Amino acid sequence: MPAALALIAGLGVALVALPLIGLIIRTPWSRAGDILGSGSARTALRLSLIVATTSALVGLLVGFPLAWALARSQFRGKALVRALVVLPLVMPPVVGGVALLSAFGRRGLVGGPLYDVFGLQITFTVWAAVLASTFVSFPLLVLALEVGLRSLDVRLEDAASTMGAPRWYVLRRVTLPLLAPQIAAGLVLAWARALGEFGATITFAGNLPGRTQTLPLAVFEQLQTDPGGAIALSLLLVTVSFVVIVTLRGRFLQTR
Amino acid sequence: MRRLVALGVAALTLMAVGCGSSGEPTIAAGGNQEREITVFAASSLTAAFTQIGKDFEATNPGLTVTFNFGPSDGLAGQIESEGVADVFASASPTWMDDLASATGVTQRTDFAQNKLVIITPPDDPAGIGSIQDLAGPSVQLVLAAVGVPVGDYARQVLRNVGIAKAAAGNVVSNEQDDASVVAKIASGEADAGIVYASDVTETVAPTVHAIEIPSDVNVIATYPIAVVDGSKSTDLARAFVRYVSGPDGQATLRAFGFLLPT
Repeated sequence: MPAALALIAGLGVALVALPLIGLIIRTPWSRAGDILGSGSARTALRLSLIVATTSALVGLLVGFPLAWALARSQFRGKALVRALVVLPLVMPPVVGGVALLSAFGRRGLVGGPLYDVFGLQITFTVWAAVLASTFVSFPLLVLALEVGLRSLDVRLEDAASTMGAPRWYVLRRVTLPLLAPQIAAGLVLAWARALGEFGATITFAGNLPGRTQTLPLAVFEQLQTDPGGAIALSLLLVTVSFVVIVTLRGRFLQTR
Repeated sequence: MRRLVALGVAALTLMAVGCGSSGEPTIAAGGNQEREITVFAASSLTAAFTQIGKDFEATNPGLTVTFNFGPSDGLAGQIESEGVADVFASASPTWMDDLASATGVTQRTDFAQNKLVIITPPDDPAGIGSIQDLAGPSVQLVLAAVGVPVGDYARQVLRNVGIAKAAAGNVVSNEQDDASVVAKIASGEADAGIVYASDVTETVAPTVHAIEIPSDVNVIATYPIAVVDGSKSTDLARAFVRYVSGPDGQATLRAFGFLLPT
C-alpha cells in the first residue's frame, strides 16, 4: 500500500476513532457502575433493544418483497419508487418525525381516522418509537437485499425450478439460503441505525421513560442535568452497537 | 492495520499542534477589528433577539451580529468548552451562574422576565379551563424535560398548585425545548403544554389556545445577559448588552411578549 494512501486511510480511521477515544477519556469511570446500573438506564437500554430489534424485523418483512420487486420485476415508475424508498436515509430525522406526525399523528392522514373512529393513538406509544425507527432504518435493508438479489445467480433458481421444485420451495431452499449473508448484513445495519435513532423518535413518539425513551433520548435528557452520566450512557450505546456489528457481521460475512 | 491507526493519530496530532498557534477564535480578526459579535442566546429569545440584532446592526453600520440559539444549558456548556461567544443570554440564572464560575462573565444584567402559560390545540380537545384541569383523567400533557429551564419552571408551577403528582402521570413526553412543546400542541398531538408567554408569538397564536396561569402560582423566569470573559470584541459586546437592556431593546422584548425586569 502506498504511504500516501495509508496516511489518508489512517486519517479516516482517526476521524472515527478520536471522538470515541474522547468519549472514553471523559467517562466518569468511578460513577459509571452507578449510572449504568440505575433503573432508568436499564429501562432505556431494554426499550432500545426491543425497539431496534422489532424495527429490523418489521423492516425485513416489508423490505424483502420491496427489494424483490425492485431487483426482479419491471414496472413503470421503478426509479421513482427506488428514490422514494431511499429518501428516509437522506432526510433529516426531525423532518422524518414531522412527516410521520402528518401521516400517523392523531390528526394525521391515517392516524386521524384511526383516532376518531377507533380511539387508537399511535403517538407517545412504543409503537410510535418502532415506526420511527423502522422509517429511518428499513431503506438500508431494502438496499442490501436488492444488491443481494441482483448478484444472485438466477441459474441456480432456474435449475431448481426445471427439476420440478415449486416456487415456494425454491425461495425457501435456494434463494433465501444464498441470500443469507445480505439479509444478515442488512439486518445488522438497519438494527444499528434503529438503535441510534433520535430525531424522528423524539418528534413523532415523544420522550417518556419506559414507553418511548430509548437510549439516545435518555442520553439527551441526562445531558441536561448530568453531562458525565450522559457520556457514560453514550458509551454504553456505542459499545452495544459495536459488539453486535463485530460479532454478527464477522460471523455472517466472514470478513477479515 | 496497527500502522494505519498510528499514522492517522500521528497526522492528526501534527495538524492539531500546527493549528494551535493560530487556532484562536477568529471572530473580529484582521483589519475589521471588532466588526462582528457572536451572541449565544436561549431558544425562547429567538424571535425577539433576531429583531434586536437587526436593529442593533442598523444603528452600527458594518457590524454583524451572529446568533446561536439553543437550550441555555447546552449553550453554557458549549461556551465553557469552545469559548466562541462574546455575549451569553440565558433563560435562567442557573446557567449564567454556571458560566460565571467556569469561564467568567462581566456586565451581568437581568434584562427580561417571562411568565408561563398553558397552551392547548385551538379546539381544546381535553376541555382545559384552568391549571387544575391538567391533573384531570386522560389529559395528555407535554412538558419540556427536567433540566431545561422552561421544563423546571413548569414543574414548579404544578407543585405550586399542588397537582405535581397527578400531572406528572399525565405527561406523555418530555421535550427538548419550548419550541418542541409548542409544535406538539399546535399539531394537535397532545392536549396541553406549559411554555413561556413569549412563545405564543404572532405566528404561533392562531395555532394554539393560550390559558393564563394565576400569578400567585405562576413562576416568573428571569433572563440574565452578560459579556463572556475572553471575548475579542469586548466593546461591541458591552454595547450590545447595553442596547438589550436599554429603552429600544426593552421595547422590542415587550413587543415579543416578555415582561421587563422589576
